[in-house]
Amino acid sequence: MWQAIQARETGRTPCNSFANQLKSRRISSLQLCNRKDFVSPHRGAVNSLQVDLTEGRYLLSGASDGSAAVFDTQRATDSEASGLIEKHKCVFSVDKGHEHGHRFAVSSAVWYPIDTGLFVTGSFDHLIKVWDTNTAQAVVDFKMPGKVYRTAMSSLAMSHTLIAAGTEDVQVRLCDIASGAFSHTLSGHRDGVMSVEWSTSSEWVLYTGGCDGAIRFWDIRRAGCFRVLDQSVTQLGVRPPILKHSAVSTKVSAEKSSSGAKNRLKTLHTRPSVEKARQKRLHPGMLSTLDRATAHYGVVTGLKATNDGMYLLSAGKNKAVGYSIGCNTLLNFETGRLQTSKAIQMATSDDPALVFVPCMKTVKAFGMWSGRTTLMFRGHYESVNTCCFNSTDQELYTSGADRQILVWSPGGSVEGEMDQDEEAAEDKDNWSD
Amino acid sequence: MSVWNYVVTAQKPTSVTHSCVGNFTSPQELNLIVAKCTRIEIHLLTPQGLEAILDVPLYGRIATLELFRPHGEAQDLLFIATEGYKFCVLQWDSESSELITRAMGDVADRIGRQTDNGQIGIIDPDCRFIGLHLYDGLFKVIPFDNKGQLKEAYNIRLEELQVLDIKFLYGCAKPTIAVLYQDNKDARHVKTYEVSQKEKDFVEGPWSQNNLDNGADLLIPVPSPLCGVLIIGEETIVYCSANALKAIPIRSSITKAYGRVDVDGSRYLLGDHAGLIHLLVITHEKEKVTGLKMELLGETSIASTISYLDNAVVFIGSSYGDSQLIKLNMQPDASGSYVEIIEKYVNLGPIVDFCVVDLERQGQGQVVTCSGAYKDGSLRIVRNGIGINEQASVELPGIKGIWSLKSSIDDAFDTFLVVSFISETRILAMNIEDELEDTEIEGFLSQVQTLFCHDAVYNQLVQITSNSVRLVSSTTRQLRNKWDAPAGFTVNVATANASQVLLATGGGHLVYIEIGDGTLTEVKHAQLEYEVSCLDINPTGDNPNYSQLAAVGMWTDISVRIFVLPDLTLFTKEQLGGEIIPRSVLLCALEGISYLLCALGDGHLLNFQLDTSTGELRDRKKVSLGTQPITLRTFSSKSATHVFAASDRPSVIYSNNKKLIYSNVNLKEVSHMCPFNSGAFPDSLAIAREGELTIGTIDEIQKLHIRTIPIGEHARRICHQEQTRTFAICSLRNQPSAEESEMHFVRLLDDRDFEFLATYPLDAFEYGCSILSCSFTDDKNVYYCVGTSYVLPEENEPTKGRILVFVVEEGKLQLVAEKETKGSVYSLNAFNGKLLAAINQKIQLYKWTLRDDGTRELQSECGHHGHILALYVQTRGDFIVVGDLMKSISLLIYKHEEGAIEEIARDYNASWMTAVGILDDDTYLGADNCYNLFTVKRHSEAATDEERCRMEVVGEYHIGEFVNRFRHGSLVTRLPDSETSQIPTMIFGTVNGVIGVMASLPQEQYAFLEKLQTSMRKVIKGVGGLSHEQWRSFKNEKRSADARSFLDGDLIESFMDLSRRKMEEISKGMDVQVEELYKRVEELTRLH
Repeated sequence: MWQAIQARETGRTPCNSFANQLKSRRISSLQLCNRKDFVSPHRGAVNSLQVDLTEGRYLLSGASDGSAAVFDTQRATDSEASGLIEKHKCVFSVDKGHEHGHRFAVSSAVWYPIDTGLFVTGSFDHLIKVWDTNTAQAVVDFKMPGKVYRTAMSSLAMSHTLIAAGTEDVQVRLCDIASGAFSHTLSGHRDGVMSVEWSTSSEWVLYTGGCDGAIRFWDIRRAGCFRVLDQSVTQLGVRPPILKHSAVSTKVSAEKSSSGAKNRLKTLHTRPSVEKARQKRLHPGMLSTLDRATAHYGVVTGLKATNDGMYLLSAGKNKAVGYSIGCNTLLNFETGRLQTSKAIQMATSDDPALVFVPCMKTVKAFGMWSGRTTLMFRGHYESVNTCCFNSTDQELYTSGADRQILVWSPGGSVEGEMDQDEEAAEDKDNWSD
Repeated sequence: MSVWNYVVTAQKPTSVTHSCVGNFTSPQELNLIVAKCTRIEIHLLTPQGLEAILDVPLYGRIATLELFRPHGEAQDLLFIATEGYKFCVLQWDSESSELITRAMGDVADRIGRQTDNGQIGIIDPDCRFIGLHLYDGLFKVIPFDNKGQLKEAYNIRLEELQVLDIKFLYGCAKPTIAVLYQDNKDARHVKTYEVSQKEKDFVEGPWSQNNLDNGADLLIPVPSPLCGVLIIGEETIVYCSANALKAIPIRSSITKAYGRVDVDGSRYLLGDHAGLIHLLVITHEKEKVTGLKMELLGETSIASTISYLDNAVVFIGSSYGDSQLIKLNMQPDASGSYVEIIEKYVNLGPIVDFCVVDLERQGQGQVVTCSGAYKDGSLRIVRNGIGINEQASVELPGIKGIWSLKSSIDDAFDTFLVVSFISETRILAMNIEDELEDTEIEGFLSQVQTLFCHDAVYNQLVQITSNSVRLVSSTTRQLRNKWDAPAGFTVNVATANASQVLLATGGGHLVYIEIGDGTLTEVKHAQLEYEVSCLDINPTGDNPNYSQLAAVGMWTDISVRIFVLPDLTLFTKEQLGGEIIPRSVLLCALEGISYLLCALGDGHLLNFQLDTSTGELRDRKKVSLGTQPITLRTFSSKSATHVFAASDRPSVIYSNNKKLIYSNVNLKEVSHMCPFNSGAFPDSLAIAREGELTIGTIDEIQKLHIRTIPIGEHARRICHQEQTRTFAICSLRNQPSAEESEMHFVRLLDDRDFEFLATYPLDAFEYGCSILSCSFTDDKNVYYCVGTSYVLPEENEPTKGRILVFVVEEGKLQLVAEKETKGSVYSLNAFNGKLLAAINQKIQLYKWTLRDDGTRELQSECGHHGHILALYVQTRGDFIVVGDLMKSISLLIYKHEEGAIEEIARDYNASWMTAVGILDDDTYLGADNCYNLFTVKRHSEAATDEERCRMEVVGEYHIGEFVNRFRHGSLVTRLPDSETSQIPTMIFGTVNGVIGVMASLPQEQYAFLEKLQTSMRKVIKGVGGLSHEQWRSFKNEKRSADARSFLDGDLIESFMDLSRRKMEEISKGMDVQVEELYKRVEELTRLH
């Protein structure tokens, strides 16, 4: 550490690589935090977690008992064990008892991306509600045709305030907070839509994953979906050699070799600009065979676009996959069993070198490029629904059916405590002298 | 201090990051272009050496710098890309000697993650593409069209995520890149891609090379006809092309820079991490490469860039030591080195720590920095103003004037020193023992005050008194001729040069006399309407003995007039304005430009550019040098002419880049000065001050004076102890041969001669992290406290460290106490007579207790947890300000009653800190990892708990420099009566060798200057069309916001360099007089 600081001080390590090295070192030492504790007010499975996008400070949770709560991740409300364990009680919560509260499970709770003044909840009671954070009152609600599985808002959007909603219905609806009405209805899926995710590179692009196993890309300025990911046609990104006798390509990648394995997650790489031209050419009259392609066998339970806008991760029946957005490179993650009946929420580190995926009672972290499990987080008593990465502190928050919200933080804080204990002992010795 | 801050650089960046050579300013001229992070310097190669042509700031941190020549151009263009994803193409306009922007643009992308290994910017040798690698997984291409114009950029996906280097290959039909990358398993490979212009994509290239040296991280493309690429590793160098592969092993070294020697690319200079320069030769038979050869040439500074200029002269740019101009000799010298260092360019970077001291105890701050790294480490003493090194002095009160005289006009040295008093004149001369003693010049009058003295042609001396002008032979010392003032008139003021005398008597009579061989001829007499206050006929033309012009300052109408000699016809008259009479005028030529300087009785100085043919006075500027009347006199140092302004705050006026610069002389009050170049005191000045006459030499003429103390090792931390007059440093020495590569020391230095007095070696693996001079409650001694850390290779986070307490006894370090800690001691502060240490996550307070046996020890009193790493700590009273590794600033308080430390407020932003400072009780300053400065304010009176606990960000600014340290203090002497003396300042030091000053202004002044800054932005356009507003706006990974509560002093002070027309434009826009603006800006320059 001191050497790293020394290297930064003399300008040998560039600032950003110093920060990245340190972050990834911290992330690789994530462990169950024994200093920080969220006191969960939820009496049902926690289905959704999100840290706000502006300050990276407030955690929003939604649970099956119809409640949603906000926690301050930075400032503890009180502490236990002489200041060593910080208790974070929720700042406020809204539940069934609230006059506007949801009647059934909250499946999704997301922050308004521009500030923390609003948040959005979607529930099995067919409603999506927009809440004013300061007054804890619902200000707008949208009546959906069925249970709401997932809602999403674009973190980039400067020109729209649309909530994308995936419901039991085959259509994906975009709800406009500004007008209080549906602005778009996106048709294409043949079954309910369990996962929706906005692109992190364009404010107009939306990804949706349905119970029919399809992942569709939408440009909301145009009619119809412009791309359907196909698990059977994946390009590995090797460029055609121009010389026949060219040296052996290094690109016999690990990506393909794992495709035969049984238990997997997928990553899809998303590639904008270059590929876009080609996509657009195809767009309006997409071939019907292409339109029927599936990304997973069975339900697509989770989608996650990485921060750098380059990749899309999807979780489906017993596997998670990464797609390179645009070129459809496929990388499967060896996940083991995954929950299939419920939407799951994946997370990635900033790099994005690690992918966090809830796998039954554990959360696994996969290497983004290798597809291999690098870390396992065991701590929940029942299946985990959601994980959420807080890049401010490099902390991982997970929650699931056991109603707990667990904090996984970089290791090393333990030693501090021992330190103090020992010193206390030392002091005593001095007194006894 | 306050939240309204003014940031200005006192020392520009000195660390060289990039350089390139080409024909930039004209097709025939060879230029060296040097990038110093945020500045570009353009030099011209002349037979005499490098001549600086231009030095301009760039509103961005330079990431790449390349010269290229599109088809059809006769000279090179300069391509620059900044770390802020802007690029520009610059061209030299030889008519206006300015840079013009050919193209510019923004290459930022919404997607992608910025590269860890730095940005790469390359240009196809055939000028078809510019290639940029800015984000992992993307390669951006900016194509040229047929006319050499840039077209729209596009991205190409690059599968290789960990790219180490990319270069365009020579001699390829289609533009081809070679990519050096690392795979998932940390193995390194090179592969090639062709850029397909039509597809806007890559096509697999002609060859690839797998499993290279693990340390390979540099590619050198080899020009035609050989083509291919050199892959520089730590243990091998490989030449690789489609049809050849040659490798040689090398002595393990990390190559940092390369420079191509020949156009055909058969020889290269490689500079490594230890500062060794090697020559790499590609042996070939015609176009077939037969092998590689490597030869050690010698040692230089650790190079960050190498540019081969011409005739075996090479520029070595360094960020760790002084940059150098070297010559490679054909034959080795006695030590076997082929390298001869011709010139050195001072580099302060990286400044990792510094302290502000007043060694001479004159109220003038000096900065002592820990500069350089590795073997090029040094201490630098940076001082504002010019020092006089006293050689001799005699007590002589009441001096009214001094002049030096030669024994013959051709003599190189001065012999006599004429000292005038109110009613006598004494003549001093050097005797055989090199002592000054009284002597006599028989022809001179010695019972009266001398008004002026000078050497005259034909080996004569001239003395002017109130009644007469006396011409004396310098050989016989006898009077040769005499001119008497008309009866009833006395000479009031007089001046002379080698062949002319001009004097004024009461009643406004001006008399012009020419000196001949034994003759004094009154050539002209003129009657002026008012009394004359001062005169000058210093020759500025080609003839050093004869002046064409005379400058005359007048009483009553407060004007200065220029007369043509010998006719005394009025050439120009300039009203000075105001009521203060001119007390000294001077005609001089500095760097070939003629100036008229005119000093007023209240310490102000007016300067004009003088057109000697028309007599026109242009570019009037007024500055304040002191508060007392000024006497002006020229002198020369290092064959350049400078002006000495003697007053209560003596200054030297000199010209740099054709701009007048005023630099303080580090003496308190000087009434008179004359150059005195004698055999015993060569190049000295005789200075009359405070009742004594001093003879001394003058420092090199520059504003900031930097003295280098090379220590040959890397100093990390420094502190000064006034009581023992010592410095202590933590340093490390690299030992390439030994098992354990680094050795760490605590060293004690004398603060006068900077000799090592004592050394305390630290344990194996023990690093010195912090150092402090402090004293404790109930103990009179002053101690040095050193915080250390045991850095074990297997540990990520140090778990053990020490605090060592030393006392200085008889110039030695005596260890009096040591305390083991559970982590590295990142920071130490004196705190209420106790010691406050930052140890890993924790802040720990130690008290200094007396044991039964009379010895002392550190005993821990209380601590505070809750940081990721508490790296930077500052204290004020009971407050503790902690700069965390990644969690911004938090404020702690020590509660005396409870004996506990508690957090009272924090900034919840995720800033990665690099330095913190305390401005006042409620306002704190931080510098972050993204080169920003920000201030936070605590709201102790706020109503809610939440508001009290949260510090509000009140100021944000992008400084574009990595700040390592803030310290309170000032580089300049503060005069009690000047306005600027009330302004508190802070000094900071950065990685690029910048020493900056931050001043807290009153809000009214801030508002005024903010307006000025806004107007300046409109008038001064950034090089390459880059926007100043954008450059200074706060930015980090998450957001960017306009700068607030900070002003860019560098921009504001550049007002003084503007042409009159532009000044007027600004003044009109602001509705403030130019003079007023100038005065207010000039006051600010006094801060540094």
